[in-house]
Amino acid sequence: VFTPHAKGTGNSPPGKPTLNRCRSPEKETFTCWWEPGSDGGLPTTFALYYRKETSETVYECPDYHTAGKNSCFFNKNDTSIWVNYNITVVATNALGSTFSDPVDIDVVYIVKPNPPERVTVIVLEDKSWPFLRVSWEPPHKADTRSGWITLVYQIRVKLEQEKDWETHHAGQQKMFNVFSLRSGGTYLVQVRCKPDHGFWSEWSSTSYVKVPDYFHREKSVWIL
Amino acid sequence: LYMVAACSAIPISDLLDRASQRSDTLHSLSTTLTQDLDSHFPPMGRVITPRPSMCHTSSLHTPIDKEQALQVSEADLLSLVRSLLQAWRDPLVILSTSANTLPHPAQNSISTKVQELLEHTKSLGDGLDILSGKFGPAAQSISSLPYRGGNDISQDRISRLTNFHFLMSCFRRDSHKIDSFLKVLRCRAAKLQPEMC
Repeated sequence: VFTPHAKGTGNSPPGKPTLNRCRSPEKETFTCWWEPGSDGGLPTTFALYYRKETSETVYECPDYHTAGKNSCFFNKNDTSIWVNYNITVVATNALGSTFSDPVDIDVVYIVKPNPPERVTVIVLEDKSWPFLRVSWEPPHKADTRSGWITLVYQIRVKLEQEKDWETHHAGQQKMFNVFSLRSGGTYLVQVRCKPDHGFWSEWSSTSYVKVPDYFHREKSVWIL
Repeated sequence: LYMVAACSAIPISDLLDRASQRSDTLHSLSTTLTQDLDSHFPPMGRVITPRPSMCHTSSLHTPIDKEQALQVSEADLLSLVRSLLQAWRDPLVILSTSANTLPHPAQNSISTKVQELLEHTKSLGDGLDILSGKFGPAAQSISSLPYRGGNDISQDRISRLTNFHFLMSCFRRDSHKIDSFLKVLRCRAAKLQPEMC
């Protein structure tokens, strides 16, 4: 039995690519990423095509570079919300083309912000008991000032040697006090944010803060 | 909201804050409702569901990005929100009636949530009717977006589910618009208390 393009060279049309993720960090731009299938042993190129629900015109990805390999970036001018984008990726080599399954997305449902920025933690004292004051700023790309995006925040803290985090909801506030500390330890603090109808950001990079040793002082008073 | 809006001593920013809390709930509710529906939806149904551009409210010209939204005046934004809410009064009643006999395993929970949608939409609409008086005549004008789908969503099982799903997906998008515009309004009104935004 003779099979055309296979046995001899091992070459074939490209495998099916998968559009696996689309994300908007601020409800103003978005990026989609795809996973290539097998290359069929030949140089393979990829193209992303999209069509908006309000039009029949098919467009090609406006920017393959900004967001890195196997991605397509839609800038502000290419991004509309409350409209579905029907997106397909096509892999092509000398032996043919293979289409991904199409994906329908509305940018309002793929919003995942960057983590909060400029997280600062200081130790303050209330009636000679220490507490942490954590403050932060929204990710700079998210326009919370105009109300275009509304963020709520979570903070989590743990002692350096502990396993579990203690999580607190801060609502829309950009500051939070953590009480009931164990004195004399180093606390790890992280903050993350979520848009009103979207996904949690990653946690911010860890801030470390050392709480002075208040316990012994208290204890000595107590013995007296 | 009605009671509070009647009292002129409450600042507009507080009223808009309450309104956007209500619209936030409204949208979250429509999202869980859509998920309930999707949890048991025949894949074929999804294919034959009409496109969202066919929603009865799609003829209303609304901003499609931040740049456009921030250029719209307060009065016109409020008018858009009120037009959308008004356009859903009848279809939500139809949804709530048909939810009682929806051929769906989560029928009970869907029915309860649609009832909540109906009540939230009504009270938000009533509150904004009063609030709009403070924004001048442009805020008072409402675009008419009649729903022409009849009083019943359909007799046969599959089209009942499909039409219900279609209407819900239209409402979900519109409730997101309503919520977004109200939150922009809230931040404009809160200029004196920047910590709110």
